[in-house]
Amino acid sequence: MSGVTGAELAGHPFLSGLDAGQAGCLAAAATAVSVPAGHRFFEEGGTAASFWLIRTGHVALDLHLPGRAPLIIETLGADDLVGLSWASPQREWQHGAVAVQPTQAYEFDAAAVLLACDEDPDMGYKLIRRLMGVAAQRMHSSRIRMLDLYASPAQRGGRP
Amino acid sequence: MTGALAERIAASARPAEPPGRSVPVRYLVQARRQETHDTVTLELRPAGEPIPAHRPGQFTMLYAFGAGEVPISVSGPPDGPVLVQTIRAVGAVTSALCAASVGQAIGVRGPFGTDWGIAGGAAPAGARQPEDDAVTGRAGRTALTDPAGQDLLVVAGGIGLAPLRPALLAALGAPGRYGRLTVLVGSRSPEEICFAGEFGRWRDAGADVRVTVDRADSGWRGHVGVVTQLIAKVDIDPARTVALVCGPEVMMRLTARALAALGIAERAIRVSLERNMRCGIAECGHCQLGSVLLCRDGPVISYARARQLLAVKEL
Repeated sequence: MSGVTGAELAGHPFLSGLDAGQAGCLAAAATAVSVPAGHRFFEEGGTAASFWLIRTGHVALDLHLPGRAPLIIETLGADDLVGLSWASPQREWQHGAVAVQPTQAYEFDAAAVLLACDEDPDMGYKLIRRLMGVAAQRMHSSRIRMLDLYASPAQRGGRP
Repeated sequence: MTGALAERIAASARPAEPPGRSVPVRYLVQARRQETHDTVTLELRPAGEPIPAHRPGQFTMLYAFGAGEVPISVSGPPDGPVLVQTIRAVGAVTSALCAASVGQAIGVRGPFGTDWGIAGGAAPAGARQPEDDAVTGRAGRTALTDPAGQDLLVVAGGIGLAPLRPALLAALGAPGRYGRLTVLVGSRSPEEICFAGEFGRWRDAGADVRVTVDRADSGWRGHVGVVTQLIAKVDIDPARTVALVCGPEVMMRLTARALAALGIAERAIRVSLERNMRCGIAECGHCQLGSVLLCRDGPVISYARARQLLAVKEL
């Protein structure tokens, strides 16, 4: 027993709109977790076997740089999804994730979720659409940051 | 010249203009604070007659003698004789202003343009949401109404926090006049956050201040991401929120879009636009943006009005 109900999951914005049966199916693959600040969810290069839906708290996505402390590349908070790589064929984490404050989340067994999606393509389609939404939003944010909007002309290498 | 001719000339002469409208008024640098590696805040005290008091969001033309004149938003509160201006060194004139030392003279014209509409002061009786975002001012121009009784959402990108600071200070200094005050700050990096030393005081005064950076360093433990991501994380009542937004135009466009997606009306989103202000008195046309002369009709206008202007590529 995971201790997580379908109704609880359906209340999370990422999963709202799933029917009760589908939410219940996902609940069977979910566990409610509560972790302290500093808890590492995963490391860059590891096997992506889980994903999390944050209920409260903050999680930093980071990258290791040789000789330096990990560099935070993005911060996620309540209602956000942590972990996309489990849905890719490689299933390898592209970066790390660490709780920056006490965090409560639903943790999902990715293999069980993928199996459930194979058995219920409608649920899989709904889940993939949500994942695409998250991926698109993060790609958009990354592109905006690449514009370096707040840089001065000198920082951009142009004339003042 | 005959006495009659002299009388006619005197009668047709323009009324005396306020000090600092066309001709710079001499101010002296009273204090200088380095905000970031390229941004400085100057406190200026009038050497003689001061310019008229500014309203939050207005700008002045600062004259670095021997270098030139540039538009700079006022970053300090409107009360008191000291004029506070925050300048980022991006060219010859702004670099000269940033290098100004205490006691140095600077020419000031202004204040010019529209303001955020944040009047501050005590809460008026029966405050309610304005039915429109604008009223016609005395000079026949559009002025934004004071959103007394409404929640304020301040969204700043980079140096854009400077022109928002007077509105923020006015709101903090008027407890009860406005509802919740939320401040979202986006910065390039942790070391380039302006006014970071004041955030604690703003929080103590009741503001919900959240900061994000585009690029963290290894010591940064705060939020990393674009400022629009913070919008989704704050509790906003769209029907009773007025947003004040200032930063690069792309950032303002994306922010306004995100706010509109939450249900905030475009007329309740106020942005501060920037163009090549020169005269400050709507005579030279350098700051024209479509049908708008920003030194007079801006810099602060509602997004309902700005949206079309920001979407045109070649204005």
